Amino acid sequence: MPMKGFTLWFTGLPSSGKSTLAQRVQEILLERGMNVELLDGDEVRQNLCKGLGFSKEDRDANIRRIGYVCKLLSRNGAVAIAAAISPYREIRDENRKAIANYVEVYVKAPIEVLVERDTKGLYKKAIAGELKNFTGISDPYEAPENPEILIESDKETAEESTMKIIRTLELMGLIPGAPAESEYSAEEEEKIKARLKDLGYI
Amino acid sequence: MPNKLAVIGLDCLTPQLFYGDWLADMPNFKRLLDGSLSGNMVSIVPPITIPAWTCMMTSYDPGMLGIYGFRNRKSYAYEELYVVNSSTVKAKTVWNYLSRNRLRSILLGVPQTYPPRPLNGLLVADFLTPDKDSDFTYPPELRSEIDRVADGEYIIDVKDFRTDKKRELLKQIYTMTERRFKVFRHLLSHEEWDFAMMVEMGPDRIHHGFWRFCDPGHRLYEKGNEYENVIRDYYVYLDQEVGRVLAAIPQDTSVIVVSDHGAKGMHGGICINEFFIQEGLLTLKDYPKEPTSLKAGIVDWKKTKAWGEGGYYARVFLNVEGREPEGVIPRSELQAFRMSLKKKLEGLTDEKGENIGTRVFFPEEIYRTCNNIPPDLIVYLGDLNWRSAGSVGHNRIHVFENDTGPDDANHAEEGVFAWYKRGRGSASSRPSRPGSGKISIFDIAPSILDFFSIDVPDDMIGKVL
Repeated sequence: MPMKGFTLWFTGLPSSGKSTLAQRVQEILLERGMNVELLDGDEVRQNLCKGLGFSKEDRDANIRRIGYVCKLLSRNGAVAIAAAISPYREIRDENRKAIANYVEVYVKAPIEVLVERDTKGLYKKAIAGELKNFTGISDPYEAPENPEILIESDKETAEESTMKIIRTLELMGLIPGAPAESEYSAEEEEKIKARLKDLGYI
Repeated sequence: MPNKLAVIGLDCLTPQLFYGDWLADMPNFKRLLDGSLSGNMVSIVPPITIPAWTCMMTSYDPGMLGIYGFRNRKSYAYEELYVVNSSTVKAKTVWNYLSRNRLRSILLGVPQTYPPRPLNGLLVADFLTPDKDSDFTYPPELRSEIDRVADGEYIIDVKDFRTDKKRELLKQIYTMTERRFKVFRHLLSHEEWDFAMMVEMGPDRIHHGFWRFCDPGHRLYEKGNEYENVIRDYYVYLDQEVGRVLAAIPQDTSVIVVSDHGAKGMHGGICINEFFIQEGLLTLKDYPKEPTSLKAGIVDWKKTKAWGEGGYYARVFLNVEGREPEGVIPRSELQAFRMSLKKKLEGLTDEKGENIGTRVFFPEEIYRTCNNIPPDLIVYLGDLNWRSAGSVGHNRIHVFENDTGPDDANHAEEGVFAWYKRGRGSASSRPSRPGSGKISIFDIAPSILDFFSIDVPDDMIGKVL
């Protein structure tokens, strides 16, 4: 079945789980035979957006560049997954308008959970004033108002969140569905039993 | 880029025939065996198609998969077993990992792939497809193409292999095999792929249908019968089909020939439930006048401790207090009861009173874990020289005709494996023939991943060959 390209855009505070979920979703989509590219914020800053800092202008440029690549990939039938903090609503909305089949995933968790979860200790440094322009502490984060998918990463397991995203994409008709997680349907059960009886198995 | 890998799966192809005298008349197999890693491959306990191929392609044992046969227990109620399918498989298969790594697979008839799940590639589902009206291909439009390229309707499986209509069965087996190989070669030639795998059920069907005609050691063998050479001729025919596959693929393609288990002559059947009745462990409300399947409704559960299912091995279930609806064996006595039952089963004799060498396994001792509901005991009656008949009403334990139709062969614990590595890297990595160490069915999946330079997941239990 030829599939439409689309962009799956993960936004959320640092350590909210964007990259983890984006990677898991990417693995499942690849398993289902889709052309998928993952643009992870941290990795993109090493190449596509090298040299950009954390001022508002540079953050906007970063998100616009990622959005541009997503647009190109999506319109060529691929799945683009972006995982970037993308703190400003205005730029996210710009991307939404520019990209056909844009699906926003807001990965939400309370700051106190993120501080606890942050293995690099960046939140603590930011709170102590040792780290400037840290989103959620010393820089703003404008949460999405109507994301297509809301993930509450402090309440769901990564597996549950991943399957919620996959299921939503299936319902939106953007990815092929997997067969139901069950045995044969009643009709199939009758047919397979008849076949197995014919074969002498039962 | 890694070279391509083609796997030719031949269900039930058995080592004593494959590596024996017939090899001289099988030049293509011989060519593959020369310089390849080959030898007997130890299958799973129990050695049966479902879940053996899935174990091979996941490197998980049946307990880890929670799949103990093609029919499993859904709950501890006394209801009929349900038929498993691809939805039951929660573990990642080789092609899941290949797809993740952007490598493309072609799968044709690999057991436990119905209903077809999306992948990077193409899939034609297996013999557990309900019928050809079902969506048994991925993508769905492939369905009509395979009928076209099969030069006649693609056959999922023969209609009935436990039949007395031997001529008809033989014709069906050849037609099925010929058409499956045609489809495989077409897909290999016309599609992009990195990994391609087909499984042909013909060897299994011909062993079950014709063993008595070909094995001088079989109780029903008659010298000079018209079917005396059909199994040998079929092996030679398979060799020709494999030769055509080799001609259709690039020269640097590596090739694996593998079976999921072997075969051996069947001495007869042990009516496992008749045995339990004799031992006072199973009570029926009314003993049937003629052989009939054991259904929950005919059992007096309050007076029953054990019952069994038929098949190439016996699955034995115990009626445990607080577990089964009308359980009678106290949990505190369960282990002691199992040990005593094991001893009784190991004492089973043939019709002449000779011990038949039954082996009994406890699932928790042979599997790394036991997901879903395992049988309480897995029994190789007469070390798989006898099969299990689940029906009752025979008034005896030994039967010499199968209760589900004529069947001359049982499954054996070892299948075949041959891996002919070609192309880049083959000179340094080509393994020599194994010595006394045997290949395990669990080694195949990690070895395939390693071939494609994919890290082997820690939870795979096999080793890289």
